[in-house]
Amino acid sequence: MLKGAIEYAPSTFEERGAAVAFTTPLLSQTRVRRGERSKLEVLIPSLSEGMGTYVVAWKSVPEMVSMTMHDRYLHDLIVKEEACSPQEIRRATLKAARRGLAGPQAAQAARRALEEDEEQGTLTHYLLLLAILKAVGLESPEMLKAGIGTEEGQRLTRQLMARAADSLKLEANLLYARLAEIAAAVAPVGLTQSPKPGRLLRGMQELKAFRQSMTSWSNEVPSDAAPVAAFCADVAQHTIGIGEKLLTDFQRRVDAIGPLMRAWETEFVVIRSHAQRMAWLLDGWSHVTAAWDVAQTEDRHQQAATINDLFRVIPLLPKKESREDMLGAAKRIKSVHRRSVRMLEDWRTGEMDMDSIRRIELVKARAP
Amino acid sequence: MTAPPDAAPSDIAPPDLLPTLEHRLLAIPDDKFLEVVQLLERVRDHPDVQQTFASIRPRLVQMRPERRPTLKRVLCMPFEDVLESFGGADVPLGRIERRAIDPMWGIIEDCADRHALDQLDRQVQGVAPGDHNGMLNIGRRLWPLAAQTLRSVMESDGSRHVLWRRLHGDEDLRRQVIDAAVFLDIGLSIEALKSDLSPKPLPELEDRHVAVIEQAAQAVARQNVAAVYSLLLVAAARLAAPADLLRVLNDLDLGKARRDQPVIFAQLSGLVVSNLEERTARLEPKAGTPSTAVASPEAAMALAERLVASVATTNAVMDLLNEPIYRERLEAVKTAVGAMVTGAVLDTASDGILSAIPVPKPGAAPVVDEAAQAAAEDHARALRRCEGLADTLGLRQAVSDTLKRMGQGVSVRAQALLKDYPQMAGDADAAESAELNLFYALRLLELVAGPAKADPLRLAILSAIGESPDEG
Repeated sequence: MLKGAIEYAPSTFEERGAAVAFTTPLLSQTRVRRGERSKLEVLIPSLSEGMGTYVVAWKSVPEMVSMTMHDRYLHDLIVKEEACSPQEIRRATLKAARRGLAGPQAAQAARRALEEDEEQGTLTHYLLLLAILKAVGLESPEMLKAGIGTEEGQRLTRQLMARAADSLKLEANLLYARLAEIAAAVAPVGLTQSPKPGRLLRGMQELKAFRQSMTSWSNEVPSDAAPVAAFCADVAQHTIGIGEKLLTDFQRRVDAIGPLMRAWETEFVVIRSHAQRMAWLLDGWSHVTAAWDVAQTEDRHQQAATINDLFRVIPLLPKKESREDMLGAAKRIKSVHRRSVRMLEDWRTGEMDMDSIRRIELVKARAP
Repeated sequence: MTAPPDAAPSDIAPPDLLPTLEHRLLAIPDDKFLEVVQLLERVRDHPDVQQTFASIRPRLVQMRPERRPTLKRVLCMPFEDVLESFGGADVPLGRIERRAIDPMWGIIEDCADRHALDQLDRQVQGVAPGDHNGMLNIGRRLWPLAAQTLRSVMESDGSRHVLWRRLHGDEDLRRQVIDAAVFLDIGLSIEALKSDLSPKPLPELEDRHVAVIEQAAQAVARQNVAAVYSLLLVAAARLAAPADLLRVLNDLDLGKARRDQPVIFAQLSGLVVSNLEERTARLEPKAGTPSTAVASPEAAMALAERLVASVATTNAVMDLLNEPIYRERLEAVKTAVGAMVTGAVLDTASDGILSAIPVPKPGAAPVVDEAAQAAAEDHARALRRCEGLADTLGLRQAVSDTLKRMGQGVSVRAQALLKDYPQMAGDADAAESAELNLFYALRLLELVAGPAKADPLRLAILSAIGESPDEG
């Protein structure tokens, strides 16, 4: 059941696992991955003050830890759906939150997030359609004027898309299918020409603001947590660096929609893989940035406690993604961190820490 | 009432209309409210406008807009931490009442060097809202001038008519004006200390805070030994638990005030205890109102926790110094806190928690009230927080009974919802609302009874909605 503490230095994102937004304090942001014989397993960092990470069979978690109702529901859902990528985990998380089990605010936030996903998908689809028409020289003011929602607009669109398919030497149905595939892959990031950034692009912006805020805090506040804040800023900076390079290449490829359609087999694989990599790269950060947002209204004492909590779950980059020895740096910081960490006693006593759960639920209401 | 920002004062609603507009000022959006406050500031000397400010003060306190600096505002800076708050249940230590400000300012206007005051008034008009350094620069000159003026008026027989005109023989006000003069004497030291003891309330008194209090006390003692007490009052008032200062007070080196240390300690500890008594006295319901003075069960618990912590610290300090006289008074404080918790959290639990779970109505589509659910959850959390104080407040049995009653009540209501659920088959929207109500009831059960007791309900709900977990 419990494989014992290991030194956690994953090589790849998949090995690092996807963060799960549990509300039980001990399990908050623990990572799920596919282990031996494809069985799901969970990685729980430092159950007490120890340095290691525990690897636990996913199905055994409820026997080990007293979980909230929300977490039991989410746990079952992840077992049922065999979810372990950030996208799949997010879907399950939103479904659990929508049930109201993390409170009404989190339920409302989950409903909003699902609506936004749908709107973003439709918008991306529409913008890609316009981009294809433009790429083959078929821009139509009449179509725009009629609007895609009207019968006339749809007739014009079908006509133009048939001509676009001819021009690209594709069946019209295949063009539509490819369009849907790109939209699905690209929507979470969003298009350069989109009036609203996708959630992953927003995540990058929030990460930059977090990095800036952590740097200022570490410089301005005389606290044991200052080196921890500086470390968090450093991890954020490395993540932003990789993310920006990835994003530039991703946007360049998506913008060149004509060549993408022509070299579909090779190009689309790269685009989809870039989008998935963005999701892995930012996985776990939305909780970190939202928790820091929540702490902005609190005094510095509370902020220091939040920074120490975040250190426990900060998404360190896997070895293959960064040349920096993040685990080594984390170990050096840990000696400072141990002094002021909030102990997570509930796993031993079975008692729920209501305040900690409430804090996590407030974060969930910000970043569902 | 949305006058343009550049409107002349006369363009604003005539003052005689203001009283009727006051209640609307409490309801308009934040940005509009700030706009109106800015406009009213320009005619703030009008009696009706002053009345308007008094009635909107709770919102001003909550929003803390940057106010236009005035000499009167600068005057109050050194003693603002001991100024009595409006309408709040908390009372600052050694307080100066807000009603003392106008008479005090009147005395200064009547008797201080007119030329110097006019000069400072011109300067303060050039200070931008929020410019703390600008206000400090004015204070540097205003505070000694004001302190000297107040003191000479208080001590001189020739000023009796001024005193009568401004204080109307109110001895309490007279005492407060004399106290204020001491704060003004050491205004700069207080301002420096305030910046070191920030934010207010300081959650924990750390070693570095103790060090700055000690240094400030020594500096003030060199200037005026008697003013050390006032400085320590400000320090205590900035702490979340003022009794924490008592804990370290006898280890402080107060420099020239060293010999007065036992007296200062006795004064301060007496004040801390009286302050606790006064704060709890305000918790009692006012005549004609059925409920307690606190806004919500959560606010009640937060206040109870602060008061109990203060009582515990004060008790410990008194025990250490063998001061049994206060024990009885502190016990009375605890009893009052217990009564407040009973009234605001335990007695209201049925209304606050159970009524959020809807009772199924035959033939009617289920309604989800998320605002009621959020309030019920807050109440349930407050109830669970009571457990932490139950022994101290002698409420163990009452808390345990209430939790049990709530657990049973939620279960009964949830079962009624479960029984009604099959009626929703065929209507997706109704089924979704019914499911949400079931999960919200489950959450309330989890909050009042814990996850282990809630789990059977979870499994029953999942079974009813066809989402039973995989076996094995």
